[in-house]
Amino acid sequence: MGVVLKAPFPRRRRLLTVVRNTFRHLFLDSARAWIRNLGATGPALGSMTLLLLLSGLVGLAAFTMQRLAATQATDAAVLHVYLRDDAKPADVAALRARLGSDRRVATVGYTSKVAALQRAQNRPGMGELAGAAEDNPFPASLDVRLRSVSDVGALAGSVSGGPAVDPILPTSYDPGASDRIQKALLVIGIAGGAFLLLLGFVAVAVTANSIRAAILARQSELAIMQLVGAPRWMVRGPFLVEGAMTGAIAGFAAGVVTLVAGVVVVAAGRSTFAQIAPGVDVGVCLLAAAFVFLAGLLLGSGASLLSVHRQLEA
Amino acid sequence: MPALVELVGATRQYGEFVALDDVHLALRPGEMAFLVGPSGAGKTTLLKLINREIRPTSGEVWIDGLPVHALRPGRVADLRRRVGVVYQDYKLLPRLTALENVAFGLQVSDLGASDAEVHDRSLDALEAVGLGDRAGSFPAELSGGQQQRVAIARAVVAQPAVVVADEPTGNLDLETAWQVVRLLEQISRFGTTVLIATHNLDIVRRMQRRVLTLVDGRLVRDQPAGRVGRLAWASS
Repeated sequence: MGVVLKAPFPRRRRLLTVVRNTFRHLFLDSARAWIRNLGATGPALGSMTLLLLLSGLVGLAAFTMQRLAATQATDAAVLHVYLRDDAKPADVAALRARLGSDRRVATVGYTSKVAALQRAQNRPGMGELAGAAEDNPFPASLDVRLRSVSDVGALAGSVSGGPAVDPILPTSYDPGASDRIQKALLVIGIAGGAFLLLLGFVAVAVTANSIRAAILARQSELAIMQLVGAPRWMVRGPFLVEGAMTGAIAGFAAGVVTLVAGVVVVAAGRSTFAQIAPGVDVGVCLLAAAFVFLAGLLLGSGASLLSVHRQLEA
Repeated sequence: MPALVELVGATRQYGEFVALDDVHLALRPGEMAFLVGPSGAGKTTLLKLINREIRPTSGEVWIDGLPVHALRPGRVADLRRRVGVVYQDYKLLPRLTALENVAFGLQVSDLGASDAEVHDRSLDALEAVGLGDRAGSFPAELSGGQQQRVAIARAVVAQPAVVVADEPTGNLDLETAWQVVRLLEQISRFGTTVLIATHNLDIVRRMQRRVLTLVDGRLVRDQPAGRVGRLAWASS
């Protein structure tokens, strides 16, 4: 009597074969084709890297502007009431008490002349100026934080001319200054956004063209694949992977350069950033680099999807 | 025995031009038939309908139970695995060897085939067409007849139910053409339906297989095997 031999786990083995073949068709073959077509993909890769780098740097600049805008918005609700150098403590106390009891005021703080000098020395560009003077030119002040920005003007008017208040420069109130800064930042933001959109469009066009070139170069191979029964994903998938690879590599390179450039700039102007745009640090640069990488991956995949759809569906 | 290839009133128009007009046709499993007719008669159009390279404008096309006329794009690959195609210009990939060209056909149509299985089956197919010793040769190193045989090996390696050949002997000398057609005949003996579009009437007469004659897109004559004498359009 004969013995029937059964192959061990044939279903599992077949499944493994399917997975291995799928991986090979989708990724290994794509990687080989990508390397083989590097001559055609190279310019697209370079352009995309440059565009993503610009996007990263513009993005970092936009974040800095946003932080600056936020700082400005916060500062706009703070009114500094400058005190005369010879103001009597009783007058200062009376003014402080009056401001403290005002419904429009949230808090009142006091900054002495010494503290004002120290604060000035920490401000970008003010350190040398502060040190150049023989005596301390910065006045003591009452720092009034209001509940609403719209009340700043009225309060500034009400304290001017008081016995403890500096007659020449009574307060820090500058009507319209905050609005001007906000408007300028808005314009810069819109311009930056438009620039980013333009860069994105160019990156998509460049990558789509390189994928289109790759498809055209392999037209006969694709036709044969389709004629011998290759499923749609097998024909289209490798191009999507190639596009994603182009985007990912460009994104990685641009991300690294963005990170390095960002870290160098932040390290060089640490005090400036801490003052005018708090929060712009190495962590933000890392986040920007990650965004650049992701943007590259998405742009590459999206562009190739567009190109594959146009070329192969036609 | 039910038909493996069936066209029911198949019509294909390109604008006003009618390339194929109300064609009714049925081919059984293992049947070999020739499709003859003058240039522009609609032979290639008919083969393209079978392989779903184009859709019929009206009528039905059934292949191995699949309604080709109504097939969604996502299912065309299923059909193509049941239909092997041989072209006049071979359509081999120049950067692949003969064995790799055949294996390519199997790899893309059957993901479940292991490397060893693909290698063995491809080599078997090459040996079946008499090219086992040229497995490592690139297409440029092979003669036209050898390239056509590689193309046939690629068409049959996945064991399709139907093989259609569009002028497979068009670029070959008479002796080589005869060998290629004999090869296709052998394939039909294993149960594969073979339909060959050709201008080579000498071969058609010598083979004495079923002959379908197309003129101006219409199937004007259907001569059964063994009774091929005068060919309708050639004698006119």
